[in-house]
Amino acid sequence: MSKTATALDVTSLTKVFHERGNKSVKAVDNVSFHVRQGEVLGLLGPNGAGKTTTIKCILGLMRPNAGDIKVFGESVEAHYPRILKNMSAVLEGSRNLYWRLTVWENILFFAGLHGVTSRDNKAHFEHLVRLFSLEDKRDVEVRKLSQGMKQKTSVVCALARRTPLVFLDEPTLGLDVETSLELRAVLKQMASEENRTIIVSSHNMDVIQDVCKRVIILSQGRIVADDHVSDLVSLFETKAYRITLLEPVPEGLQEALASRFRGATVTGDGTTTEVKVNLLENDDIYVLMDILRDRGAIIDEISHEETDLEKAFLEIVRRERNNHESR
Amino acid sequence: MNLGSVFVAVLQRDWAMMKRYIVNTVSSLVSIYIIFLLIFLGFKSLSGYAATGALEGTMEGTVIGFFVWTFTVMAFSDLAWNLVIEAQAGTLEQLYLTPSGFKWVSGCTLLSSLTLNFIPIVVLLVTMMATTGQWLNLDFISLIPLLLVTVLGAYGVGFALGGLALIFKRIQAIFQIFQFVFVGFLVIPQRVPWAKLLPLSMGNSLIYDVMVDGTRLWELPIGSILTALIVGAAYLAIGVTIFSVCENIAKERGLLGHY
Repeated sequence: MSKTATALDVTSLTKVFHERGNKSVKAVDNVSFHVRQGEVLGLLGPNGAGKTTTIKCILGLMRPNAGDIKVFGESVEAHYPRILKNMSAVLEGSRNLYWRLTVWENILFFAGLHGVTSRDNKAHFEHLVRLFSLEDKRDVEVRKLSQGMKQKTSVVCALARRTPLVFLDEPTLGLDVETSLELRAVLKQMASEENRTIIVSSHNMDVIQDVCKRVIILSQGRIVADDHVSDLVSLFETKAYRITLLEPVPEGLQEALASRFRGATVTGDGTTTEVKVNLLENDDIYVLMDILRDRGAIIDEISHEETDLEKAFLEIVRRERNNHESR
Repeated sequence: MNLGSVFVAVLQRDWAMMKRYIVNTVSSLVSIYIIFLLIFLGFKSLSGYAATGALEGTMEGTVIGFFVWTFTVMAFSDLAWNLVIEAQAGTLEQLYLTPSGFKWVSGCTLLSSLTLNFIPIVVLLVTMMATTGQWLNLDFISLIPLLLVTVLGAYGVGFALGGLALIFKRIQAIFQIFQFVFVGFLVIPQRVPWAKLLPLSMGNSLIYDVMVDGTRLWELPIGSILTALIVGAAYLAIGVTIFSVCENIAKERGLLGHY
């Protein structure tokens, strides 16, 4: 397989859950995307956006209502469960493990299910244990480990299966900042060392920004953005502005801005005013200046807002929700 | 499908679990022995117990019936209860990610359970024989194939209930009821015409012939062996079919990871 071969191809994936009283919820709505081999993709979205449902449909743990899923060119539906030899996943973090077994016993078990035996892969298992700093805990029962170590063991068990496609659903959920940073660093290192395709789902922006090159943002079951993380951040970097005024909040400014720029904020401390606004269209800067001039605002400073993926994400999701409500 | 490595992985897991839960393993065997002791003492105190018709009214029959019941309940539990426990613990979806398919993982779990439970159950049987003073014929060459044929029906029930557990989750009460239903299957005398069509019943009767009369496997009526095999296989097939239907519904509704 060449480096640019498609590892995963999802076309028009739709999953509807039927609830009592003939109510139905479209958890995944006509989602299409593809992932190249060796790519590290982030699936980002608020709770209930459809990230886990998408992953579970790909893994065959849920049956989609419509759509086609291909893994390395083979249809998941037609080749299930044999196709699972190409896929592994961390789905519920530490809950994916046998807590009464040791770290090593868990690795041997889950790898063994994939036909990856310790006889031929012991060095690889030991490498993973070292990579995730679990050497001292190798023979310790999982129940005696910290939450962070349990989570790392889960990831090791998924990676020990040596599958070319790995799904990590909320891999840092419930971890403290230090352990989360540690896990992210290892994932990054691993992604650059091994030519595996990794799909990381999270609602934690830092994880995605840190580990993934490309991100798909899901909201209400639909893809609302699919771009490289750096492009997405820079897109918003050029459009997020902060304006400082040398006066208390001018009368009517807040209303005028709110009616023209969604999400604009105006705060004042009695002597100065700070305006934060996202300018989405090319001529928005002129409209903004007109509004400020009409109110006789005295501008002290105009600067680009520091933007990260979190701000980009919030703006995209907010816009999508507004569009959805206005439809 | 690499079933060999799946079986080795499952056997290693179950062996490690057995060692780690050794107190639980031993206490469950002791509990079963105590139940047997109560039944034995109760029957002994009833002068006319032989007239009950249970297991044709013999103490040998009681020992054999209890032995087969223990074997069956362990096999059934390892399938149905484990499925609930795996769902509760969060490991069920991981087992579903096995390339050979979840049903084969379950099959390997059953085989591993048989392997690991066989010696403790035989120890229990010898203890029961010593308690009653009824020394039975332990011809393992004849017994093991008959035990396997007999538990097929229990596996069928286990698969069916396991499938229902995937959808309805908390159905442990039904599991407990079935442990007693199995007693019913074992005590119904073979002279009842439709008894042959019940799970366990025919196999239990053949095991009785081996252990009490000393009949060898190849000396048993071929028609009876085939009946036991066909009935067991039919129950297994029905159980696996029900499991598959329930599994599809669970996947449709996204219930595999729920508990």
